[in-house]
Amino acid sequence: MIRLYDTIEPNVIDEELLKLAVEEQGPQEAAGQVAKQEGINFKDVKSLQLDFQNILRIDNLWQFVSLRKLQLDNNIIEKIDGLESLVNLVWLDLSFNNIETIEGLDTLVNLEDLSLFSNRIAKMDAMDSLVKLQVFSIGNNMIDNLLNVIYLRRFTYLRSLNLAGNPICDDEEYKLFVTAYLPDLVYLDFRLIDAHTRELGDAKYQYSIYELKHRENQIQAKLEEEQATIAELEKHKAAYVEYLNGPFLFDSLYSEDVEAAKLAYLPGVPELLETYKTKFVEICQNIFDYGLVQQEKRKAEVAIFYECLEEALQENRKQGLKEVEDFDKIYTAYLNTIRNSNDIQFVDTKMSECAEEISRLFDRLMTLEMQLVEQLEETINNFERNIIDMVGVFVENVQGFPTMAQCRDLENHHHEKLLEISINTLEKIVKSEFDEDLPDDVRALFSDKDTVVNAVGASHDIHLLKIDNREDDLITNVTSWCTATVDKVHNDELDRNRKRVKEINQYVDHLQTDLDNMDFGDLLD
Amino acid sequence: MEVLKEKVEEEEAAEREAEAEQAARRAAEKEREDSILSQEELLDLEQKLSEIEVHIPEIPVAFTKSTIDTSTLPESYRTNTPKEELLIQVADNFSRQYAHLCPDREPLFLHPLNECNIPKFVSTTVRPTLMPYPELYNWDSCAEFVSDFLTMVPLPSAIQLPEYLFSPTSVLKYQKGNCFDFSVLLCAMLIGAGYDAYCVSGYASQEMCLMDLTREMCPLLKKPKKVVEEKEKVIPKKYAIKPARDLRSKFELAQQAKKENELKAAEEKKQKEEKEKILEANKPPPDPMHGLRIHAWVLILSGKREVPESFFIDPFTARSYKTQDEHFLGIESIWNHKNYWVNMQDCWNGCKDLTFDLGDPLRWEFLLFGTEKPYLSLMEEEEEEDLAEDDDIENLDKEDENKNFDMPCSWVEPIYISPKDFETRSPQGKKVIQYKQAKLEKWTPYLNSNGLVCRLTIYEDVDCLKPVEVREWYKNREDTLEMRQMDKISNWTTEYFKPGHFLALRVHTYKTMIPETERTMEFYHQARVDGLVKRTETPRSMTEYYEGRADFLTYRHIDYGPRSKKFSLSTAETNPRPMLKITERFNRNPEKMADDDVAERIFVVSDERIQLRYHCRDDYITVSTREFLKRNEVDNKGNKIIMTPEMCISYEVEPREHTKKLLFQYEMMMDLKNEERLSKHQVWESEMEERQAQEEHMRQVEADLDYLAPFLVQLPPGEKLTRWQALRLKDECLNDFKQRLIDKANLIQSRFEKETQELQKKQQWYQENQVTMTIEDEDAYLTYCSQAMFRIRILEQRLNRHKELAPHKYLALEEKLYRDPRLIEYLKVFV
Repeated sequence: MIRLYDTIEPNVIDEELLKLAVEEQGPQEAAGQVAKQEGINFKDVKSLQLDFQNILRIDNLWQFVSLRKLQLDNNIIEKIDGLESLVNLVWLDLSFNNIETIEGLDTLVNLEDLSLFSNRIAKMDAMDSLVKLQVFSIGNNMIDNLLNVIYLRRFTYLRSLNLAGNPICDDEEYKLFVTAYLPDLVYLDFRLIDAHTRELGDAKYQYSIYELKHRENQIQAKLEEEQATIAELEKHKAAYVEYLNGPFLFDSLYSEDVEAAKLAYLPGVPELLETYKTKFVEICQNIFDYGLVQQEKRKAEVAIFYECLEEALQENRKQGLKEVEDFDKIYTAYLNTIRNSNDIQFVDTKMSECAEEISRLFDRLMTLEMQLVEQLEETINNFERNIIDMVGVFVENVQGFPTMAQCRDLENHHHEKLLEISINTLEKIVKSEFDEDLPDDVRALFSDKDTVVNAVGASHDIHLLKIDNREDDLITNVTSWCTATVDKVHNDELDRNRKRVKEINQYVDHLQTDLDNMDFGDLLD
Repeated sequence: MEVLKEKVEEEEAAEREAEAEQAARRAAEKEREDSILSQEELLDLEQKLSEIEVHIPEIPVAFTKSTIDTSTLPESYRTNTPKEELLIQVADNFSRQYAHLCPDREPLFLHPLNECNIPKFVSTTVRPTLMPYPELYNWDSCAEFVSDFLTMVPLPSAIQLPEYLFSPTSVLKYQKGNCFDFSVLLCAMLIGAGYDAYCVSGYASQEMCLMDLTREMCPLLKKPKKVVEEKEKVIPKKYAIKPARDLRSKFELAQQAKKENELKAAEEKKQKEEKEKILEANKPPPDPMHGLRIHAWVLILSGKREVPESFFIDPFTARSYKTQDEHFLGIESIWNHKNYWVNMQDCWNGCKDLTFDLGDPLRWEFLLFGTEKPYLSLMEEEEEEDLAEDDDIENLDKEDENKNFDMPCSWVEPIYISPKDFETRSPQGKKVIQYKQAKLEKWTPYLNSNGLVCRLTIYEDVDCLKPVEVREWYKNREDTLEMRQMDKISNWTTEYFKPGHFLALRVHTYKTMIPETERTMEFYHQARVDGLVKRTETPRSMTEYYEGRADFLTYRHIDYGPRSKKFSLSTAETNPRPMLKITERFNRNPEKMADDDVAERIFVVSDERIQLRYHCRDDYITVSTREFLKRNEVDNKGNKIIMTPEMCISYEVEPREHTKKLLFQYEMMMDLKNEERLSKHQVWESEMEERQAQEEHMRQVEADLDYLAPFLVQLPPGEKLTRWQALRLKDECLNDFKQRLIDKANLIQSRFEKETQELQKKQQWYQENQVTMTIEDEDAYLTYCSQAMFRIRILEQRLNRHKELAPHKYLALEEKLYRDPRLIEYLKVFV
């Protein structure tokens, strides 16, 4: 870390430095005068050069949000830091510094050109988010493992790479290795990779690359598969029937039920359980299917509503545009006559006519808007009614006999059967007629009738609770969706209305001021 | 010819310019001094030229036996084989019985005489031949070829069968024929191509027999039928908004609609009546010989060559008709190369009820038994009747001892059309068809040097006197001109080009070719780098439309001011029209925000103003605008003002922060100034291109110079030529040309002499001073000698060549004059 000029005090990036740099590098000549007059906002600056400033730490750059090019070369920076907010950065130069590890670049997703030349970096990593990287310079560093180059395979747009001056370059196979493992690369160490080298490299590393590719493909396939499953689940969730297309719910009933596991050892119980399960799963599947169908219906309903809404808005917009266009013609004609005339009297009358015309335009546009608001209100109310009805029907049907209630019935029925078997077993055990082996903790249950009944009852209670919870989940989700949708429609409409009214007012104001200015100008003349 | 003449002119002009005076003086002197030899040569030329007389081939008006040279025809044309004799006997026999059985019917067309006065059975005249040209494989192209290739000659008598039927060999040779000749030739070609074709002898309407198309619409003018698109019914959607309430009185609306309907009905009625009137007026006068006019045509039966339905072809016009067509009034008989059938069906209703089941002996009486019958679809009942009437047929057959008597081979040579004739098609390569209010002229490609192949003149009136529109089709032109349409009333000319024009021009509409006048040019924009689609010009403006440009420009409009007057001679290039305003429109660039994407840009050059209008955002109804004023460069204190807020007036739909900055506005203004310069340059380029196009056009026009123009000018304009005038015109033109040729010879001669004299002088000088000469001088002398010799030799060659070519040129001009459409009617009569 000791440098020749270590005696010089490290510099800090402060307001003064930045201001100076910005002013120096800002617009020149005439534009510069204008800029100076007005002052430059840091957040508008597109490129910044801070080289040979003896900077130790990157700091105070958070204001430069629209920065595209940043040069911090030839400083004594030790750590990449403080660049998180510069998300628009395309070009970053950190060459000739004292950086040891690559870090802090995760937010710079737009970066295309990165230079880390002449630093102390030993390993290339932590750059996964730089998907647009095209030019990467990391020469004169301390990279000593050739396999580290494989890391660069993920950058599909990488065309130019500079690795010269690293320990790996001493390797005889360095060139061939890099060309073979980075087939899209065009320039290596600022030289065009010729076809011959590429062929040699390909031939040499054919098999290992094949293996690598195979592995990569596998990972990719796996990833895709996972994504597909997640997408499927998302779809089910949107229909509020996730995990109902299989024995998931049933399994969850028993997952926390200790007693049931014990009771399963009793003779006859496994069979009972089996039939119970098939029936239960069947019902769940029914609910699932029904849910999907309902979801489609809701979707269609919403889609058609939005379609109609869009049509109405477009129609209204068309009318509005036409009004404005028509007005524009009249207005320009007025302006021209006013400009060309010398008679103040005449100008005055024309002016007032024009002002009248403007207010008429305002009236017409507002009428159009009010009309639309009325029309939309009716339609939206209609939609709201329908969607609430739909959700209501869905909830009713899920709760109703053929579905969730059925589950409950089934559970009750199962409970009775289980109780019966348990009591029978108890009696047998009491009479010592029970000859099958039971685990001790199970046998402990059958010490007296209360314990058995309690155990079975507890199991039953847990099951019912689970079913209830699932049902509640479904209903709350659906209802909240319903209110959210309706609210969104209402809010959107409100926003739209406000925006339009604001626009109309603004436009009319602009016209009015324009006209007034003209008046003023004429008087001056 | 024109090219040659042009050359002559060019050479002459060049020579004359140089030594016009000298030549004149010398010519006078030469007449005295010229050696006898050159005089003789000139005289020779003169003599030669004056001796030339043009032989115009005689056009026989009628095509009769006497005009045919029978000497070269092969033996089979002049004699009959025994088998043919037998056949003729059989036919005679058949004819007698037919006359006996059907006394009220006309005699049959069985064995007319051929060009060598030998009776030949009609079927043997049909010699099926497959043409070697792939273009002639289908019936439509075949029929078209026959109708183009032959000139129609009416029958000697409209209601009598012709006495002669010539072989296709003679017909093709003289390119003339009546309907029977046409039919036999076409039939032979169609059978050769595999069609089930028959010659038909029967009766047809007057128009058909005389090939009179003046009542027919020209097929080129027929509009394609409009396909009526069915409108899809829009089902009102569930949430469609209800329309705003209509506050007008329904009663009033109903009343108004009622009134409008009444008016409409009245108008329709009027129109209908007018239409009927016109129809009435255009009806042809009744034909006194209706139903008696004899005609021959071709029948193609379904079955072979995937013909789905039987139909007729009229060989004159090459049109196909349904067998029920009302133009065809009756059929006597039909034949092909194998057999002959007589129609036994009643033709009271034209050909509408006829069936063409040739295997049905009740309807079609065959001449030869045993040859294969095309159809045998007899029904049971008919069979019984058949038996009842079998006697008649047996009677016929009994005489015919040889039951399996085959049709003898055709006596006609295979049809041969030379490739040259095939290319030339019509006699002399030209064909004229008169349609209803339209005249169609066709030429063989390459016959006209300007590539003209077809011209359609549309007239206003039925008598074809006032042309309304002329359409010309071209082929194989360098500038890929395909069609030119000239509106004679509004004087607009529209040219259509095929892809490949050097400016990728597609359509060009103009009144005159003078630059900066009204015109519209459309382009193949895919072929152009700048994506120009269309350019419209008026004297004061130019509008351009673009498509598919990287800068999204779609429209540019330039307003010009009047030219500033300068004292110097200013051409359009040195003194361009001042631009007043440039308006440019752009398409939406999806990569930019609507507020940053300029939709319209107006450079008001005269005012130093720039107006910008941006694209409209998706859900807004107003658009951002910005206006820059470039004036006020200096403030009242004399300081230079770079930018003030007043110089940029903007309205923004959604006010944003950075656009308010002066720096932003200043930079934008600078950019716009640059853009303005660029736009001006592009406009200039467009103008240059325009000029280039006009030059190109002029070059094309120049190619067809009018050689008669200087002589026609002398005549009073607008009057019709008299025969005498036409003759004089021709003579004048020829004399002038002769004089030109002689002048040119004189000129070459004089130069030749001058060179020779100079050389002789030099030689003399050399011999005198040879002793005292330096080496350099000698070298110079030698080079001079070789150059002079070269010049002399070239001049000699030119003179010889001129002598050789002059008569040809003269002949060519003379022939051209005879063929000139303005003179033809006078000269033709004279010769």
